[in-house]
Amino acid sequence: MKLDYKKIFAIVFTSVLVSFVYNDFNPKGLKLIRDERVLNWGSDSLTTFPIINSFKVDSNLIVNKPKIDSAKTEIKKDVVELFKEPKAIKIDFAYKLFKQGVKFIDARPVEEFTEGHIKGAVNIPFYGSENYENILNKISKDVILVTYCSGEDCDLSILLGDELFNKGYKKVYVFFGGWNDWLSKGYPTGKK
Amino acid sequence: MKFLSNKYLLFIIRIVIAFIFIYAGAEKISNPDDFALSISNYRLLPISLLNFFAITLPWIEIISGILLLLGISVKENSAIILTMLSVFTIAIIISLFRGLSIDCGCFGKGTQIGLLKLGENLLMITGSFLLMFFGSDYFGLKQKN
Repeated sequence: MKLDYKKIFAIVFTSVLVSFVYNDFNPKGLKLIRDERVLNWGSDSLTTFPIINSFKVDSNLIVNKPKIDSAKTEIKKDVVELFKEPKAIKIDFAYKLFKQGVKFIDARPVEEFTEGHIKGAVNIPFYGSENYENILNKISKDVILVTYCSGEDCDLSILLGDELFNKGYKKVYVFFGGWNDWLSKGYPTGKK
Repeated sequence: MKFLSNKYLLFIIRIVIAFIFIYAGAEKISNPDDFALSISNYRLLPISLLNFFAITLPWIEIISGILLLLGISVKENSAIILTMLSVFTIAIIISLFRGLSIDCGCFGKGTQIGLLKLGENLLMITGSFLLMFFGSDYFGLKQKN
């Protein structure tokens, strides 16, 4: 077996060259270097929380002012439309959501989750097993979810947030400060 | 050994692998962003490198597939295909160990990674290894007389 390495290089080089030219002319062409995921920030306080905002707008628009319950159904639809991608939030808003009983999803590995996590959080390790379908099946797609990982430097929460969003969860927040911020504030934690 | 170097067997392997790679490349070229997402699902490459591979890999597949089909530089093209298949297979094995149930990204959308995929790849690796080792000039543009 004798291989001509020059030929191999020539074939690969030509292919790469052709691919660049094609990509340049292709309307669906991609940027050579993909941009890092940029987080979109959500509102920091409950007063400007999308649910509240849309509620105000809705109740003004409705002439006969129906019962709050039916208005809330409208709000749900609105919130779904408001989220075009997961939104980043900071500790204060995350805590407000926590107090409202919003579900927190821990994207860190199982070992770190076992050592300590936000009280009541569910562990879905992003780089771990994907056998979490059972957990997800129990969570309605309409609920608000908050993903988090260790702190500001980790991207597991963003990646998991995107994945959940693509799976149909349209109200996903990414808690930017994560576990470190939560711990430093002394908010409720749990161990498993 | 004699059976493995049979020119008709090598010819069939050559044609099958060539068509598979041409088809796989064409599918990916038609939707580069989908392919970039498929690569990202494996969680092995940094985000900044995803597009580079999504742009270039399909063309390497198509061009080496066409050259293989035509019987031009069969050994060299088989070596390229063997390298690609080995990398893909390692990526699939890592993902299976991690327990990821992701789209393979092999022929556009819709094929999940799994043991079946692994088996297919190992068969193709064997085939391309045979081609790299013995070559195949039967019914090719560069047929020896």
